[in-house]
Amino acid sequence: MESSSIQEPFDLIRLSLSERVFVKLRGDRELTGILHAYDGHMNLIMSDVEETIMIVDVVDGAPAGQPATVNVAKRKMDMLFVRGDGVILVSPPVTNIEPDCQYTFRQMYCL
Amino acid sequence: MDDTTPPPPPEEQTPPPPPPASHTGSPTDFLKGVVGKRVIVRLTSGVDYRGVLSCLDGYMNIALEQTEEHVNGVVTNRYGDAFIRGNNVLYISAAETI
Repeated sequence: MESSSIQEPFDLIRLSLSERVFVKLRGDRELTGILHAYDGHMNLIMSDVEETIMIVDVVDGAPAGQPATVNVAKRKMDMLFVRGDGVILVSPPVTNIEPDCQYTFRQMYCL
Repeated sequence: MDDTTPPPPPEEQTPPPPPPASHTGSPTDFLKGVVGKRVIVRLTSGVDYRGVLSCLDGYMNIALEQTEEHVNGVVTNRYGDAFIRGNNVLYISAAETI
């Protein structure tokens, strides 16, 4: 397997402890912050958090498939407990992408 | 819902299944077969994640590599690695031959 250090999905989270992570939440919310702790529910403790809230306004007469106007609200929190059931996705920061992966992305773009 | 007891394990008189073919077998066999392969994970919200399936667990929590997020067929995000909480998963589709 490509990443031998990952045997179960939670290993990905374990390897992201003390790192800045991206968290996608229900309700069109996203967080970036430093991950301090997690548990089996994916309850999270994060610090230095910025929350991004996407507020989609449907515009009359907008062409189908065209994204409606999206208002973005942001706020910052020093320390945050995230209840696990709101979590959709957790990803280590983009800067943690291995060069191999970025190379793979480039290959995918070229296809 | 939680207190329904799972069905008993298969009886021992049934012979062991033949070696897994690519298009037969249990859901578990399918999931074992797609680990390390490119997959499309669709969430109940309709969002698709395409990437290489690193691993998954009994909750269907998923670790993906080289992940692309697709909304309405448009790539909206890319992640080197992504953990997807299992309760959001609608299906996992093999995007290459198993």
